[in-house]
Amino acid sequence: MRNGKMPFLALLMIVFATVGAAAEDVTLQWWSWDVELKAQNEAIIQKFQAANPGVKVELSTMSTSEYWTKIRLLANQKKLPDVFEMSSGYIEEWAKEKLLLDLGPYIEKSFDKNDYYMSVFDAGKEIAGTGKYVAVPFALVTTVLFYNMDMFDKAGLAYPTDKWTWEDFRTAAKKLTVDTNKDGNTDQWGFWFYGRYAHVEPWVFANDGDLIDRTTMAYKPDAKAIEAMRFLTDLVLKDKSAPSKMAMSAYRQQDIFPQGVSAMWVDGSWNIDNNRTVADKKMRWGIAEIPAGPSGNRKYVNGWPDYFAISPFTKNADAAWKFAKFISGEGLDMKMYMAGKIPTYKSLTESPAFMDKGLMPANKDLLIKQAAKTFKTSYTLGWSEWRGYGAAENLGFNGVIDGIIDGAMSFDEGMKTADKNVNKILQRYYK
Amino acid sequence: MAKRGLRWYGPLAPWILLAPTLLGLIVFRIVPIGGSLYLSFTDWNLLRNPEFVGLENYKEAFADPAFLQVVENTLFFSLIYVVGVMVLGLALAVLVNRKMRGSNFFRACYYLPVVTSAVAVGIVWSWMLSPRYGAINLLLEALGIKPPYWLGDPAWALPTVAFIQVWKMAGYYMMIFLAGLQDIPLSVKEAAIVDGANPRQTFFRVTLPMLSPTTFFVFTVALIDSFKNFELIYAMTRGGPQNATNTLVYDVYLNAFVHYRMGYSSAVAYILMAIVGFATLLNFYVKKHWVRTQY
Repeated sequence: MRNGKMPFLALLMIVFATVGAAAEDVTLQWWSWDVELKAQNEAIIQKFQAANPGVKVELSTMSTSEYWTKIRLLANQKKLPDVFEMSSGYIEEWAKEKLLLDLGPYIEKSFDKNDYYMSVFDAGKEIAGTGKYVAVPFALVTTVLFYNMDMFDKAGLAYPTDKWTWEDFRTAAKKLTVDTNKDGNTDQWGFWFYGRYAHVEPWVFANDGDLIDRTTMAYKPDAKAIEAMRFLTDLVLKDKSAPSKMAMSAYRQQDIFPQGVSAMWVDGSWNIDNNRTVADKKMRWGIAEIPAGPSGNRKYVNGWPDYFAISPFTKNADAAWKFAKFISGEGLDMKMYMAGKIPTYKSLTESPAFMDKGLMPANKDLLIKQAAKTFKTSYTLGWSEWRGYGAAENLGFNGVIDGIIDGAMSFDEGMKTADKNVNKILQRYYK
Repeated sequence: MAKRGLRWYGPLAPWILLAPTLLGLIVFRIVPIGGSLYLSFTDWNLLRNPEFVGLENYKEAFADPAFLQVVENTLFFSLIYVVGVMVLGLALAVLVNRKMRGSNFFRACYYLPVVTSAVAVGIVWSWMLSPRYGAINLLLEALGIKPPYWLGDPAWALPTVAFIQVWKMAGYYMMIFLAGLQDIPLSVKEAAIVDGANPRQTFFRVTLPMLSPTTFFVFTVALIDSFKNFELIYAMTRGGPQNATNTLVYDVYLNAFVHYRMGYSSAVAYILMAIVGFATLLNFYVKKHWVRTQY
């Protein structure tokens, strides 16, 4: 060939090679904190890659404490993974800092709303607080009343129903508090709780109360919320049907109910998984709605989603959206959900596989009924600090409730302390 | 006479050989310490860039009753720890400082907790101290004593954790005291006995004064060490119940990696450094007065 053509052809080849390379081999980074689901997540990736040639996904899994510190550092450098797990506790902060891609356009154009429980999407939008869909909820968790059927049978009590009131609950708790070996110490408690968010908030919302005044973003528990907290603390202080926090200090909190120490327990639905592991076949147990309080209308449930978010700095937004959709329902089956987490993808939740036939609880469809209600949470900016969550659990609002049931302060003193301490923190975040 | 003052050491070779260590020291110690000082005057939640806020963090700390409680806890913990390890360390050293069979075995035994992971120590002790089925409580109840909630009662939690830290570290100070005891020439003790001193008098009038350089060293190290109690608190009580076992070190961790308030936690860290620095300086000043060396 003539001299002129060679460089031109070479240039053409280079251009085609780079364009070709750009058109294939998109690599997406996916970050998750579900260490137990690592193998399942890798299987999902294989499925996705098979259906989408040219797209590769790299998964990074780490425990929650490591996850949040590392991902915040990445956010600081504007180098977030394309798709990453997001929690309701932090979504507001991240949305306000514009670190989550606005998914509105995608949801309008390449998304079938009939496939999903849109109420969960809307709950997520509200918690994020910026009026936009900023993450795809892939699972919902709720809070339920766990009860030990064997202990109910022994005490001759009927199981909790969705018509139960707080008086029904109180009576049952008293009857279920037993000193089995007659040594003067209670061995079986009717109920147990401490200041944990998943132990207290369900009762507040079951009474249609609220801890936070959402118009001023201040901690201002209304009369119904105070009634709920007084009801709970009286179980320990007056009825003695629930123990002090001090008395339960030896256990991992999620093991107390499945080890048969307490006849009833309120906590997140995701504990179904741990209950099955710890209790195994040694006890029969079920789940029920939180009993409605005197002012409760059975409308609200303390529930919240877990999400997948997309980085606003991603160079492959379309591929990332496709993948996020895939891992939020389309590409999943029930094995990939921890028992007690409710998929937002309708066909999964409404499939027979959801019921986990043969395993406890027998009435897992209660979760579907809950998914149809209105969700309420106490999440705000700085939530883990004022609420007392995780490593800060002995402090904050959590610590105040613990102090009340441990007898370190009276109920009124506790409420005053909470008001002062919580609002000091909230004022820092909502100036 | 050579002029006294600050002069660079002339020959180049030693600097080159020291360079890797100096580089490591600068990059991993000096720069972060300086960076932390800068951060203590900022507000930084990791998501956006640090915002300069001047003395706000320090003002917030000193105005917060919870922070003052943390300082109180830290000083109280230090008191128990320093007194505990010095007394227990010396007692153990005196016990194992005999040429009898088994003394080596016991030296190893007492030193073992020092090299055991603090997290393991914390976990096992919290099992032993648990209200139901804990070994300690079962023993006390068998003797008819009603035990308190060791780790659940705000009044007992801090002394309990401090005691366990003393238990863990006493062996280390025992070794230092042992070295100091063995450094005292036998002739001095023999002279005391010849002069008619009984063992108690020998110990308090001869051994202890001659031990004072070691005691000073132990006191300084124990004081600095007493502020390093993070792992045990993390493994046992997480700062609770209700702030009762929250010390400055744990508070730094809480504010930095749980609440993501890097600026505020840097300020707390610097306040801690000021306290430790002041205590150490005080110690060196006092050294002039009560340490008598035998040389």
